[in-house]
Amino acid sequence: MKKSLILLSLLFIGSMYACTSDKTTEVLWDSTSNISLYTRDTSSGTRAGFMAGIGFDDAAEDDSLLADQFVIKDNTGILTSMATDEYGIGYISLASLDDSVKGLNFDGVEPTIENVVNNTYGLKRPFNFVIRDLNDFANDTEKEITLAFIAFLGTTDGADIITNEGAIPLESTESWDDIKEEHDVCNLDNSGITIKFGGSDSIEKIALALTESFSPKCGNFVPEHDHTGSSDGFKRTQGSEKDGDNYKHVGFASRPFKDSENGAEGTQGQLAWDAIVAIVHLNNEVDSVSAEDLKKIYSGVYTTWDQLLN
Amino acid sequence: MKTLISNIKNLFHFNNKREALDKIVKLVFLLATIISASFIVIIIVFIAEEGIKPFITDNNGIGRVDFWKFITGTTWLEGTTFKSNLYGVGYIIVNTLYIAFLSLLIALPIGVLTALFIAKIAPKKLSETLRTIIELLAAIPSIVYGLFGSGVLLPMIYNLAKSFGVQSPGGNSVLATVFVLVLMILPTITALSEVAIRSVGKEIEQGSLALGATKTQTNFKVILTSAKSGIFSSAILGIGRALGEATAVSLVAGNSRTGPNFGVFDITSTLTSTMLQGLKETIGIDYDIRFSVGIILMIVILITNRGLNYVKRKIGNVDVK
Repeated sequence: MKKSLILLSLLFIGSMYACTSDKTTEVLWDSTSNISLYTRDTSSGTRAGFMAGIGFDDAAEDDSLLADQFVIKDNTGILTSMATDEYGIGYISLASLDDSVKGLNFDGVEPTIENVVNNTYGLKRPFNFVIRDLNDFANDTEKEITLAFIAFLGTTDGADIITNEGAIPLESTESWDDIKEEHDVCNLDNSGITIKFGGSDSIEKIALALTESFSPKCGNFVPEHDHTGSSDGFKRTQGSEKDGDNYKHVGFASRPFKDSENGAEGTQGQLAWDAIVAIVHLNNEVDSVSAEDLKKIYSGVYTTWDQLLN
Repeated sequence: MKTLISNIKNLFHFNNKREALDKIVKLVFLLATIISASFIVIIIVFIAEEGIKPFITDNNGIGRVDFWKFITGTTWLEGTTFKSNLYGVGYIIVNTLYIAFLSLLIALPIGVLTALFIAKIAPKKLSETLRTIIELLAAIPSIVYGLFGSGVLLPMIYNLAKSFGVQSPGGNSVLATVFVLVLMILPTITALSEVAIRSVGKEIEQGSLALGATKTQTNFKVILTSAKSGIFSSAILGIGRALGEATAVSLVAGNSRTGPNFGVFDITSTLTSTMLQGLKETIGIDYDIRFSVGIILMIVILITNRGLNYVKRKIGNVDVK
């Protein structure tokens, strides 16, 4: 009894050891293998941006258009999976790209921040904002502070903060000091005013950093953040919840505004780009893909890596 | 009516001070019970209210979800999200039960044998240490198990599949889910089985030894059989935990969107991981349908519990001290 137990446990430990094979000895990449697809969930803004970028808009919210077997994971999950899965392909936001995976060139353009800013890299989605209708503010002070914040987004100071947080800001030429005379409200003491921010949680980190920097510049107003999803950005500033308990002054969306989200003049705009990059394992022989390729991979037309390489 | 009034009158009729105190304490207990029981009712009512919506309302023009198609469907959603009402949860129910029972099948023998070892065979100091270790394992939060699973288990299973010649998507598979669940229900089963084994009467054990049986024979044929009721209870609690686990499972399962998945290296999904996936950014019918899945989950748990309790009663009971 004892001897067989010892033998069994030794066999078990031995098999576990054998199974964790040394990755550096595995350099043979078999291109006849099937492609393992990874994607985000249908409610993800990154997925919407990716599918729009490759010309496969319908698949943004429709799982049945994708190939048969695909794995659904979140941003970090796809990144860590691609570090192990030699035959997988997935997509993440550019800000999360690191050395553990290979980011594919899109239409021959390398996935870097410079290439997004100079508009050569095509796989990206907009970070948008929407504020309340200009006649719909509780008082003039709140309106002025909100408009000052929007102006701040377009300054070089705002751009620095956005870059710090991993997104790619739009072109800006003036700093806050250059334009602050146009916003007298910022010379007052606004510590009794609360401005509410909400909408996309992909933009939450950026929004927090922006308000943290801007609040002392504008009378120390109190920023209140409650990010619950891109759809709530328009809903809580000009939509069905704009007068309820969840009303917001500024809403964010990590996708283009839908047709149903048409706001009043001068209340919507873009603050940054978020680039998406297709990633594969470091051993993968593929270096560059086109929108056409990615669409064929994700719709199931290409099932093995050979079909892509040829 | 008369008896009701006389009952209420009796409630406030005190013979002396001590009886008054008695009645007040009884009332406090009753109040406490009502408060805690009402929470369950509140939760059930809330979930039922939200979960029934997709089946009876028009869902803002999208159309009703067909209940029969819902519980027999083999695809989670056919058509565009937020615009389609063709949800199907049938295959997920099969997957969930398959995974839960598979984990129980693996965890029960390991747990019971560990419990036997701790209770009967190990020297005192060792069993104290082991008991502490088991309690610590039980206290580890599920997200930690999930992170352990996705960080350590997935590459291992990917390599294991490769050595069998099977291409697995990054290790996300039935095997990974079952592994993580086994790790989670093992401490529960071990702790409860240990209590059950320790409470087997000394006379039964010593009687068997006196009749000439060896220690091992006694352990297996006498003690385990006497403790079977307690061991079965631990299994019921274990499977309850396995059915309800959300975070850890969603990180390693792969979230398959079609058909029941039985292959060991196939990706899979459970009722809980489906509810969790994309929860933060979803609206409308996609949000409401998760409550419906929640209702289905509660029904599955209820039926499993009732079924297992029935089997437990059939197995019978040995009088233990």
